[in-house]
Amino acid sequence: MAMLELKGISIRFGGVQALDDVTFSLKRGEILGLIGPNGAGKTTLFNCVSGVLKADTGTITYEEQDLKGLKTDARAHLGIARTFQNLQLFASMTVLENLMVPLDAFAARGMVGDAFRLPRARYEEKKAEEHARAILHFLGLTEHTETIAGSLSVGLQRRVELGRALCLRPKLLLLDEPAAGLDAVETAELAALLPEIRARFGITMLLVDHDMALVMKACDYIYVLDFGKLISEGPPARVSSDPQVVKAYLGEAEEVA
Amino acid sequence: MNPATARRASVFAGIVLAVAIPGLMTDYYRSLAALAVIVAILILSLNLLTGFVGQISFCQYTFAGLGAMTVGALSGAQGHHWSFWISMPLGVLFAALGGFLVGIPALRLSGLFLAILTLGVALGADRYLFANGTWNSFTGGVNPRTPSRPTLFGYHLTGQYSFYLFAFVIFLLVALLVWNMRIGKTGRVLRAIRESEVAASTMGLNLVKWKLAAFTVSAAIAGLGGALLAVQIGSVSPASYDFLHSITLAAVVVVAGVGSLASAAIGGLFVWWVPELLNHLGVNAQFFPLILGTLLVTQLVFAPQGGVVKLQHDLGKLLKIGGRRAALEPELAEVL
Repeated sequence: MAMLELKGISIRFGGVQALDDVTFSLKRGEILGLIGPNGAGKTTLFNCVSGVLKADTGTITYEEQDLKGLKTDARAHLGIARTFQNLQLFASMTVLENLMVPLDAFAARGMVGDAFRLPRARYEEKKAEEHARAILHFLGLTEHTETIAGSLSVGLQRRVELGRALCLRPKLLLLDEPAAGLDAVETAELAALLPEIRARFGITMLLVDHDMALVMKACDYIYVLDFGKLISEGPPARVSSDPQVVKAYLGEAEEVA
Repeated sequence: MNPATARRASVFAGIVLAVAIPGLMTDYYRSLAALAVIVAILILSLNLLTGFVGQISFCQYTFAGLGAMTVGALSGAQGHHWSFWISMPLGVLFAALGGFLVGIPALRLSGLFLAILTLGVALGADRYLFANGTWNSFTGGVNPRTPSRPTLFGYHLTGQYSFYLFAFVIFLLVALLVWNMRIGKTGRVLRAIRESEVAASTMGLNLVKWKLAAFTVSAAIAGLGGALLAVQIGSVSPASYDFLHSITLAAVVVVAGVGSLASAAIGGLFVWWVPELLNHLGVNAQFFPLILGTLLVTQLVFAPQGGVVKLQHDLGKLLKIGGRRAALEPELAEVL
């Protein structure tokens, strides 16, 4: 049964057809890769799923529910989390605070409970902190718990974003170029980490990246997007040898292997 | 000494001084002290809005005016003679409603546009709500309402010192509530929204709800300040709640630094005691705006995070107390 299903998604920005009739689906428990050269429409597709953008046509179905009309925060409450290509951490807050924000969003207390420090507020606060610390430990970020997030290196900031998304307890995690700005070692670590996250938290993932090493290693299945259209799909081995993909993507960049 | 101990010690010392010093002063200065405390409550209201969610408001005195005029109309001598304890909560509610309504158009605005919107609200209220001839049953028109001081546990707070202490306790309570919000979920959520709206909503936060809540609570606190101001002065005149007061308040908040509770206390003292000091020195108090403006420019150049905030930070470093997290405070450049 498909967890996420996109049917005929098209979106146009002025003269640019950013997405052109894109249809694909994502099975529960899968790590699906979405690759394509710059400007192929990968981030646009993410924005459509997470609710930041509205597609001109087409439907997005998640867990048999049409996402149409649901705002970003409502989609988060359904269990869809994402990271951002251009880092969107809460830069002046500590790493711990960053991770506690999604937990806060799911907590019931409001300003009144907070202001008067009602027992429930204190309990929820303690639980959220414990949960965030556990995720930080899992990601090996314990030593940065109290660091201001914006002062971390790009690699660590990406990891914090991943942690923040995990704190949302998502069922579906959208990773927008998680390897951008990472060195080879960090990328290899990330490629190993993603299947571990799936094993531990049972999260289905949709991964967008340029980094072929990462996508080939971490993903079960790959879709290739170019100029808003899906041009190829299949398991990593088949996609990487598809002449169309090589022409559209691999041929133009020397460093991808 | 760790930061928490240092903070507790300085808060305790501040409370002792704030209770003891006015006790030694004449009634005139006690009334100034009470006014300073009330301004400090108004600064707290702006603290919450600007320091947490990064929004600016140039109409806090309009909200205060709503609170004050409700108290005036309901418990003034010419009004309904209701108890302060009924009219004050109603004033707070009315101000909160005003904040909610202003918060709706403010949802999509920030920075300069929000400044202009709130300034427009303040000017509009001055001209159409508070001015003589439009809503006289509410404002009292040419005969300002004269609410009397409240009674607390059978004790009528007519003395300047007793009323000062009463206002000071309310200030402490509001400060405590704001502090709790700041270190809890509310502070975190609102700061997250300030940092990145797209990330905050992706994390499941309802931006509309939180921003409206911030505006509403901020206006409610301002309304509480206005209600106290009404009974402190004993007369509600629209001129005390005009847009110039709101602008001065915003300027003081910026000079002192948003997001710090100490800047509320010091800002309150500044607004009422510097003009008094000028009087004593034989300088016309009309120079006060000039001084404030000079401080504003100096502060923007040398201490963009705010004078009091910088002082707290530097003092902490000097005394080798693990420094406050300066990054918690947004700079004015982010707000405007």
